[in-house]
Amino acid sequence: MAKLVVMQQSNTWVSPRSSVLPPSVSGFHGASLNISVQSWRRKWQPKVSGIQVMASSKNILVMGGTRFIGVFLSRLLVKEGHQVTLFTRGKAPITQQLPGESDEDYADFKSKVLHLKGDRQDFEFVKTSLAAKGFDVVYDINGREAVEVEPIIDALPNLQQYIYCSSAGVYLKTETPPHFEVDAVDPKSRHKGKLETESLLDSRGVNWTSIRPVYIYGPLNYNPVEEWFFHRLKAGRPIPIPGSGIQITQLGHVKDLADAFIKVLGNPKASKEVFNISGSKYVTFDGLAKACAKAAGFPEPEIIHYNPKEFDFGKLKAFPFRDQHFFASIEKAKLELGWSPEYDLVEGLADSYNLDFGRGTYRKEVDFRTDDMILEKKKSLVLT
Amino acid sequence: MATSSSFSTFSLLSQRTSPRLPTITCSLSPLRSVSSFSQSLLSSQFLSLSQPTNKYNFSKRPNLSSKFKVVASADKKKVLIVNTNSGGHAVIGFYFAKELLASGHEVTVLTVGEEGSDKMKKPPFSRFSELVSAGGKTIWGDPSEVEKVVGGAAFDVVLDNNGKDLDAVKPVIDWAKSANVSQFLFISSAGIYKTSDEVPHVEGDPVKEDAGHVTVEKYIASLSFPSWATFRPQYMTGSGNNKDCEEWFFDRIVRNRPVPIPGSGMQLTSISHVRDLSSMLTLAVEKPDAANGNIFNCVCDRAVTFNGLAKLCAQAAGSELNIVYYDPKEAGVDAKKAFPFRNMHFYAEPRAAKEILGWKSTTNLPEDLKERFAEYVRIGRDKKELKFEVDDKILNSLKVPASV
Repeated sequence: MAKLVVMQQSNTWVSPRSSVLPPSVSGFHGASLNISVQSWRRKWQPKVSGIQVMASSKNILVMGGTRFIGVFLSRLLVKEGHQVTLFTRGKAPITQQLPGESDEDYADFKSKVLHLKGDRQDFEFVKTSLAAKGFDVVYDINGREAVEVEPIIDALPNLQQYIYCSSAGVYLKTETPPHFEVDAVDPKSRHKGKLETESLLDSRGVNWTSIRPVYIYGPLNYNPVEEWFFHRLKAGRPIPIPGSGIQITQLGHVKDLADAFIKVLGNPKASKEVFNISGSKYVTFDGLAKACAKAAGFPEPEIIHYNPKEFDFGKLKAFPFRDQHFFASIEKAKLELGWSPEYDLVEGLADSYNLDFGRGTYRKEVDFRTDDMILEKKKSLVLT
Repeated sequence: MATSSSFSTFSLLSQRTSPRLPTITCSLSPLRSVSSFSQSLLSSQFLSLSQPTNKYNFSKRPNLSSKFKVVASADKKKVLIVNTNSGGHAVIGFYFAKELLASGHEVTVLTVGEEGSDKMKKPPFSRFSELVSAGGKTIWGDPSEVEKVVGGAAFDVVLDNNGKDLDAVKPVIDWAKSANVSQFLFISSAGIYKTSDEVPHVEGDPVKEDAGHVTVEKYIASLSFPSWATFRPQYMTGSGNNKDCEEWFFDRIVRNRPVPIPGSGMQLTSISHVRDLSSMLTLAVEKPDAANGNIFNCVCDRAVTFNGLAKLCAQAAGSELNIVYYDPKEAGVDAKKAFPFRNMHFYAEPRAAKEILGWKSTTNLPEDLKERFAEYVRIGRDKKELKFEVDDKILNSLKVPASV
């Protein structure tokens, strides 16, 4: 028995400057139809009948939302017609005009998005303020520890959905990549707070959805991922890459991630499910350096490999990625949500460059200290 | 540098504890206007996944407690497998024949060459009696005379598992076309993909235009069979294999020899149990419309690094592992002779099979290698006298002793 589910319009992201490459053929714009076979009912889920229109307005709370992912996600939510409240301490401006965003679009967004000022570590305040407002859906973009989530679910007993930004960093290192959602997780990982949060949500009977991105990139990225390469390319410096340079990583564009967050909203297929969300292909460290150059219009960079064990960088980070293979399969999200990334790597990096670094903006001041240590050693080896 | 590896804990496909019911999914694809695939035949890009077929398969309602499985239609088919008589692909025809026979189809395996040749003493050919007792027919001959060799018999489906170039396969393709074969399947190779910094190889990615397999694929596509498909495999493991795979590692591990690995050992490859290839081919036979006009990477859905494979083999053998890294050029050895896998990332994913056929991968290297090791010992290969000339040359160049 087939059923029509009318999905919301896939959004086109406005960029006045053309990217280095023409838009990819893959992916689709505009409305899409998803034909889904009637899914087997799980006990908790009410029967859905007739045609569901996704855009029924919800009262949505976004924990965070002023820095990176949330900036794009909140715009999509507002465009969908939802009432969006951002919960932040107010340290960063509640809204900022995006590069390439028209004045009208920005004014519209700014006029509609609401702010709830507070510190999410103040659990009492979180509980009382949320209970007073009564939200339908929570997007938890900046949660790290399970304790942070408790006051939220306590405050909102009728919550329709808790959508959590987790991390593929929870997966246990494997000999047989990629990571699939069913794979073993590492209770000792640096991201164990995310795991504990997922478990808490599950144990409380909340209708939760967990998204596990890999490395996120795109304009406004505060993690110096692509920016790290752009700084060096701009300075005409060689790119120091640890080990063989064939380690494989995976980047996912923030706009594709935001799209995925929209796709899971009110989606029965997302109920109590985990989804890896990232780019369609994976890339070697060396390949990423070259892709950044290509995207930004720099000549192919000189790459220098070094053995990180031969150096003591102290607290300084010499390279923005984990020194290992790290990538996850996105096939579950593609199959179940009908989501697929629109940006391929070079396109996505071009988008980031054109809207951010290429305009002279970046988050982290350049620091070539570790580069210089590596180059120094290489020089001295050549001389001996 | 030599590294003694302690076995890291890992688990493949362990389930996280979760109170929810197992996810049951049906195949979904976004509905789009679909251009006819035959129009894209002659372009260098074959079917790209961004234009999936709008055909999807509804299944019978499965038991809620059982894992969702696509149930195929039960039409009995007459299948001809033209099989190579040696090499890594030889075992594919054997498993495929067995699976088809078990599903009730009529199967003839035409092996290239002569029944009495020395090549037939090796597996899987040495086990062809299993095909016969399952009701299959095994014949030998020259594929260029296929009509004569099969005695004028008619077939619904032909799988050519003998082709590196058009010279070898064209006679079979032409005969199949003239004999009104409904479905033509071809075992190509994932080796035809152009290398890239971005992985994996995905159906539709650029291929090396001058590769023999590419020429064959294009020719098949140009003939408008009612249904055709090409399958691009990588490396295989499984009982009956004609070519060494994990055995190369076992040989060294059981003799306490260092395992020489080129480069960093981080290179990714794909080792599939041949039962996965067979199940994909069988699914294509059962869903000819869905399969039609498609390229399928005929591989499992997980990769493994050289280091990882060595570790898993050592674990399967319950032995210590000593890896020694080298540069083939510096050691003065031919990279192809020194190591059983391409010295680079070589990794394809079976995205088309999963999305279009609803196929599922079952290869589980940690478990499968245990079985392989058990057979390795059972046939006495662990006791066999072996020479390690290339290894010794490598170890010499590194000044590493041969025994640990």
